[in-house]
Amino acid sequence: MIAQATILDDLSAIVGGEHAYPADESQRFVVDGMTPRAVVEPGSYEEVAGVMRYASEQGLAAIPLGGGTKRHIGNLPSRYDLALSLSHIHQIIEHEPADLTVTCQAGISVAELDRRLRVHGQRVPFDVSHGQQASVGGVLAANTNGPSRPAYGALRDFTIGIRMVTGDGRITRAGGKVVKNVAGFDLCKLYIGSLGTLGVIVEATFKVMPVARLERSVLLSLDTPGGACALSAELHRRGLALSHVQLSGRGDATGYSWLLETRLAGSEGAVERSENEVVGLAPGSHAQPAGSDVSSTDRFSGEHFDDSSLLCRFSTLPSRLAAFIGAVQRLESPDILAEPATGILRVSWHEIDGATVLERARQIAASHSATAVVERCPPELKQHIDVFGDPPPAFQLMRSVKQQFDPKGILSPGRFVGRL
Amino acid sequence: MKRSSLIRDLQGAIGRRWVLHAPEDLLVYEYDATIDRGLPEAVVLPDDAEGVASAVCIASNHGVPVTARGAGTGLSGGAIPCEGGVVIVTTRMNRILELDPENRIAVVEPGVINLDISRSTAPYGLYYAPDPSSQKACSIGGNVAENAGGPHCLRYGTTTNHVLGLEIVTADGVVVWLGGKTADTPGYDLTGVVVGSEGTLAIVTKVIVRLLHKPEATVTLLAIFDTVTQASRVVSSIIGKGMVPAALEMMDKNTMDAVEPFVHAGYPPDAGAVLLIEVEGLKEDAQEQADAVASICRELEAREIRIGLSQEDRDRLWAGRKGALGALGRLAPSYYILDGVIPRTRLPTVLDGVYEACDRFGFRVANVFHAGDGNLHPNVMFDERVQGATKKVLDLGEEIMRLCVDAGGSITGEHGVGYEKRNYMSWIFSPDDLEVMSRLKAAFGASEIFNPGKVFPTSKGCGEVSSRMRAAIARVGADAFV
Ligand SMILES: Cc1cc2nc3c(=O)[nH]c(=O)nc-3n(C[C@H](O)[C@H](O)[C@H](O)COP(=O)(O)OP(=O)(O)OC[C@H]3O[C@@H](n4cnc5c(N)ncnc54)[C@H](O)[C@@H]3O)c2cc1C
Repeated sequence: MIAQATILDDLSAIVGGEHAYPADESQRFVVDGMTPRAVVEPGSYEEVAGVMRYASEQGLAAIPLGGGTKRHIGNLPSRYDLALSLSHIHQIIEHEPADLTVTCQAGISVAELDRRLRVHGQRVPFDVSHGQQASVGGVLAANTNGPSRPAYGALRDFTIGIRMVTGDGRITRAGGKVVKNVAGFDLCKLYIGSLGTLGVIVEATFKVMPVARLERSVLLSLDTPGGACALSAELHRRGLALSHVQLSGRGDATGYSWLLETRLAGSEGAVERSENEVVGLAPGSHAQPAGSDVSSTDRFSGEHFDDSSLLCRFSTLPSRLAAFIGAVQRLESPDILAEPATGILRVSWHEIDGATVLERARQIAASHSATAVVERCPPELKQHIDVFGDPPPAFQLMRSVKQQFDPKGILSPGRFVGRL
Repeated sequence: MKRSSLIRDLQGAIGRRWVLHAPEDLLVYEYDATIDRGLPEAVVLPDDAEGVASAVCIASNHGVPVTARGAGTGLSGGAIPCEGGVVIVTTRMNRILELDPENRIAVVEPGVINLDISRSTAPYGLYYAPDPSSQKACSIGGNVAENAGGPHCLRYGTTTNHVLGLEIVTADGVVVWLGGKTADTPGYDLTGVVVGSEGTLAIVTKVIVRLLHKPEATVTLLAIFDTVTQASRVVSSIIGKGMVPAALEMMDKNTMDAVEPFVHAGYPPDAGAVLLIEVEGLKEDAQEQADAVASICRELEAREIRIGLSQEDRDRLWAGRKGALGALGRLAPSYYILDGVIPRTRLPTVLDGVYEACDRFGFRVANVFHAGDGNLHPNVMFDERVQGATKKVLDLGEEIMRLCVDAGGSITGEHGVGYEKRNYMSWIFSPDDLEVMSRLKAAFGASEIFNPGKVFPTSKGCGEVSSRMRAAIARVGADAFV
């Protein structure tokens, strides 16, 4: 095995001395309890390519990292030699407000991009927690979406171009800078959610949208998740100006309290009418217009899941969501955050026996035709499970994709579905 | 192996009735809506995925390629069997298998006609959003393969934004599901890469589509301008103000001249361009947007604005736009529909360039296109019977594509690369970019078998070149438009 000192020397030659260093003291680069042998911080696409060529020649396993907020997602890495930090690649390359598009580098934080676009009254509709830290590249790699998906789309809908450095160190581009484009395979789709296993995302181009002139939110306390789901379905059927609908539940064996948060955005007339209809429709519930200060409702953003001992993400059909919640709620009374319109929910347990609870949660998921992914659990539990569950039907194809893109197995090896 | 044994094997698997091999039967499948053609050795019409899978295996055993074909309305030569082999036609696989209004999804077979999805979901107040202008004729399988767009994709996105999952047959004849009915499915987004792969990765045998609620209110505005430049400025201004109408379409003077005698839309004879703008949503939102759009049009000197609220009035405003292609067909023996994309701020300059190039080549051009997303469709009129005209019109097409690429755009927004534009791919993608795409093809094991000669640059060519545009129009109906 190549010595750590040699690796550091070689990397320094590519990125400069101060941008290649040992990782021991830095929690930031630890993934599932594993510490890399070196941290490398390239400052340009060419340097990323140089690092990858080197990794490929030496057979060193690299994990690309942005802000590190999604490090807990994925299977246990089978090897981890290099932490490839993108935080020094963080420029906005091009923003043409009148074209409603922006191109930025992967290391820029979601919050910084947002701040720069808001000056022009625009935004990319990211919907993530930890925006200060989360990098655009990381959000893409982890495919993080939120409750605004039905209104503004998911990452796969508003990402129109991606620049990616391959495992063998080629700087390549997929998509483009125009909002409509069908030239060649749409590799952007493949890279979104690939969790650093196919290449290193270094740049992306997005469709931007105007910041809503008016956004208000209404909080509704409801007795049952079923009532909340039915209400949400009716709000959507009416086409109300919804920008975000999220149900949160907390409680214990004696009872749960349910809160449906709706945000309304659009013209004044539309928001006003939507607000009235939301309040009017809530059956026997306690409606509380939270006004235009939507940030006051940020306590539902999921940040309080950071310390959960088991965090799972399920995706079921919207029509089965209420029943699913009912079943999962009886399993050690977890905290629940659900998107009634998409059927996605995140469930967080504290102080439980992870293995047992997970097994039962997966049974519940299977009986409700839901997919289940463990987003957070201790590394000890990860040793025994595939966090993505049973391999999907197209697993053979996925495996060949991985083999084609990463024949040497140096890109976040082991972390993906089926330990690819 | 001989052709006769290929046909015998196919007959054994699919049934005699559903295997075509007589020369006169094959002729129908040698073209799509473009100006190229290529003759298959056999055409099969399977009824289900298993039939497709056996046809793929048989073709593969005989070492001949497979080209899928939906309705044959493609505008990039996608369904033309450039290298012969077997054509798999999906017309018999035309069932809507499941309709789930509660979860707003439908599972359909690839041969289902686009518009039939919205027709059958209308009773539930739902519809399928991507609306290619050929929607009365084109198949959903063809839409998936081309990632088809349409006028309303400005707001709602193209096919890829509305497909949740696919059942496919792979090159080794395996039937497998990608994606699924739920919003998230673990693993690589293979649905996302098969959409838009132009039949080169797999044959699609089932499609899960997402349905939308019909909007409460829709307002259509038609604004008439003296010049194309003025109309382009309005487009830039609407987009620049962050408004995203449901549709934002432009027609130039040549188009209006062609349309007026047939549609009697009342376009002033000296007008230079019209914009057709549709806004929708809650009635409060639609009204506010309509007012804002109207005031931009007025500010930038629209000479007339017509507004349609009722379905009947709105249909009347759309009539000219929808009748455009049929009308153009009457002006010249043939025409060549181009498809390119540019950043929206570049509309005025690139359109000038298009007119200049057409003038220089001596062809008349009618521009009728999706202005809101910068998707140009210059229609170049020509007479293929004139010696050298076809070659000249293709050269002009190439020059116009150059203009788009130089402006920072793309060589296709919705019609696909297919056969026609494969050699332009290297204008926008580096050899490394293309190499990475070929990895995907290798991963699907599809390098040789599915639709060879498409999408990627090569020097080989299809056989004869002749114009079939008219035949395509006849199939999609005279009110077809791009
Ligand atoms: C008048 C007119 C107007 C048009 N307007 C528009 C428009 O507004 N927007 C737009 O996007 N397009 C438009 N088109 C182009 C065309 O209609 C679309 O590309 C459409 O999606 C093609 O569908 P099809 O069923 O005719 O496919 P075909 O032409 O039969 O095939 C197209 C491609 O799809 C592949 N394919 C077909 N079925 C399958 C399958 N089951 N599995 C895998 N691959 C398959 C074929 O191999 C081929 O590569 C227009 C065409 C015409 C003639």
